[in-house]
Amino acid sequence: MPETTPEVAEPSRRQLRRAEQARRSEYGAWYPRWFWPSFAIPGVMWLIVFFVVPFYAVISVAFGTIDSFRNPLPVWQPWYWTNKYISGVLGHILGTDPYLRPTYIRTFMYVAIASTICLVVGYAVAYYTARHGGKYRTLILVALISPFWISYLMRMLAWVNLLSDDGYVNVILEKLHLISEPISWLSGKDITVVLGLVYGYIPYMILPLFGYLDRIQPSLLEAGRDLGASPAQTFWRVTLPLSKPAIYAGMVIVALPMFGDYYTNNLLSGSPNTTMIGNLIDGSVITAGQGPNGAVLVLILMVILLVPMVYYLRGTLKAQEAK
Amino acid sequence: MRRHPREGWKDAREYMEAKKGRSVSRRDFLRTSAGAAITLPSLAAIMAACSNPRTDGSTGGTVDVATPDNPVRLPLVGQPIADGLQPEKGATLQIYNWDAYMWKKIIDEFCAEYDCNYEWTTFSNMEEAVAKIQTGQFNFDIFFPTVDPLGRLVKAGYLQPLNHSYISNLAANVWDNLQDPFYDKGAQYTVPYTTYTTGIAYRRDQITDDEIRGNPNPRAMLWDPKYKDKVGVYDSTRDTIAFALQKLGINDVNTENPADITKAKDALLELVELVNVRTSINGVYARLPKGDYWIHNAWSGDIVAGWGYVPDYTQENYETLGYWFPADRTGPTDNDMMAIGANAQNPVLAHLFMNYFLDFQHAMDNFSWNGYQPPQKQADVDALTSTEGRYSAISKWAPPIPYVPPWMPDAVVREDDLNNALFRGHELSPEGDALWSEAWQEFKAGA
Repeated sequence: MPETTPEVAEPSRRQLRRAEQARRSEYGAWYPRWFWPSFAIPGVMWLIVFFVVPFYAVISVAFGTIDSFRNPLPVWQPWYWTNKYISGVLGHILGTDPYLRPTYIRTFMYVAIASTICLVVGYAVAYYTARHGGKYRTLILVALISPFWISYLMRMLAWVNLLSDDGYVNVILEKLHLISEPISWLSGKDITVVLGLVYGYIPYMILPLFGYLDRIQPSLLEAGRDLGASPAQTFWRVTLPLSKPAIYAGMVIVALPMFGDYYTNNLLSGSPNTTMIGNLIDGSVITAGQGPNGAVLVLILMVILLVPMVYYLRGTLKAQEAK
Repeated sequence: MRRHPREGWKDAREYMEAKKGRSVSRRDFLRTSAGAAITLPSLAAIMAACSNPRTDGSTGGTVDVATPDNPVRLPLVGQPIADGLQPEKGATLQIYNWDAYMWKKIIDEFCAEYDCNYEWTTFSNMEEAVAKIQTGQFNFDIFFPTVDPLGRLVKAGYLQPLNHSYISNLAANVWDNLQDPFYDKGAQYTVPYTTYTTGIAYRRDQITDDEIRGNPNPRAMLWDPKYKDKVGVYDSTRDTIAFALQKLGINDVNTENPADITKAKDALLELVELVNVRTSINGVYARLPKGDYWIHNAWSGDIVAGWGYVPDYTQENYETLGYWFPADRTGPTDNDMMAIGANAQNPVLAHLFMNYFLDFQHAMDNFSWNGYQPPQKQADVDALTSTEGRYSAISKWAPPIPYVPPWMPDAVVREDDLNNALFRGHELSPEGDALWSEAWQEFKAGA
């Protein structure tokens, strides 16, 4: 008798799914395919509502027009756009009557100097805290960061009082006989604005640096020393390269808001000699009829800021590959 | 830190300033951080843009530009309320005003009398205020517009015509030349609130009265390198460019002549070079008394209010504050006003509120607090420098001070000042406005 093989029924889809579920459940709970991607929905919605739409509104204002009240009137359809405002503003930066150019150059200088100071000071602080803070490191960090729980504006207003002619800064400098008469810090000085920027943004430099420096394995440093490097060489050839991603991150995090800052200058100076890009934007937005110009200035700033952003992303990617 | 007697007061200006993180003044263009955002387009504007982009354009509408030589009777949009209505009971009056521009004690007294509450909403510049009104979602009862957008606000239907039967104090108390102002003939939509001139505030411990009054061109003193780092100008396109124009001898403070505007701009750029000028909005009332500035172009009301901001309330400190305005009164003189919203929920109460603040005593009490003089017939302008106001009288911590300090007679506004058509600031055409704004931006950009 020929052996009859029992007919094997084609597994139904349901059985297949069960099997698949069983297989997957060996690795943990089973979830449908859409489950994990759906976690991105809140983030995507956030981006759409708070970035894409406002960004399109800025573009629509920059290429739009003004209403009869001389307030900006956005034009949403690209086919109705005009480049009247964009060419006007670009003309004043790059063209024949470049009166906006000094403001751009000045802003770059301020941001470069201020973020460099942030890096130097912030690195020293973060390094000390991470390497030598011992059991007090948390305390040191909290002490460093605590003034920044107060709003930026309040801290700047405090500086206005401290730096005034009869404020504590001058009083202390006079007591120490470093100066013979009060310095008018608030009379429109570059240095006041730059130091204001440093003060305002330095914690954003310290925190990422601390995070990175703290995680550097002591064994790597010991290896460096074992192989004959001096402490300075160990720092230059081990610690510093390892902390590069944090330096990139810190520089970008402090430089981006500095570019758009306007109230530091408003409060600590007010002189046209210290005007920054942010002040131009602010001035345009609150002046009737100048709204579209303000939007154009915002777009130009965004394009400028893409450069450090891209540099930062490239830097961090490279650092990841190196690992 | 020196303590301020008003610290912690509910309506103390310094306190408000710190709390809100911005300075406060009637024309407070200083921005809140939110102000950095591009003004969000109103729903109406979006709809307009969707259906019919660009036809709306920058034409400025078809409203005539009101000037003293071309007074405008605004079109009647909507109807005034009927006569003889009872005020709304238990209502909440919506007041939309500049910050610190009205003494809340007087508003409290109004509300006690008429059994109402009030909600106080502020704006920091007229563009912001108009944008918010344009949304159509904000039903304010009382609003404080400037001359510039008034015609357009009326035409767009945001304000309601007034019923004068509720505002008897207008005819009874207000200066005759503001009964029928050029920007609103027949006072159909507005009643005058305060008046002020624009001159120079200075510290008398640095510049004597005789020095500035004896100077052939006191405005040019701001350009004197002697005062380097101590010179301020308002962060206000119209006021400061007009100041530069007058320094150059150009008396048309509404000029649209490009050559004049260029000259003024060059003068302002020179001001940056010579004295490192700073722009401010609280420079006169708050920072000049502290010594941050020695000389500053100034609205008369700001320096009159300045005594409330001296570091210590001593007679000596009061006497450091000075104000100059030309003896022949050839300088900008303006007035502010009150209006009622088209969608006001409490129109009767709003009329009564206007009437209340046009009452002689209430207007003067308010003046004693905010420094801006009401155009009151009964006020003896010559006696303002010798009569103590209510705010000083109840301020027991400080030596008494008259409405206007005795050494500042120039800061008193006289009815005749408003008759000089040349010095009444009025709206500019969109093209002229753009010229002023660009000149201003170039000045602000620095070199």
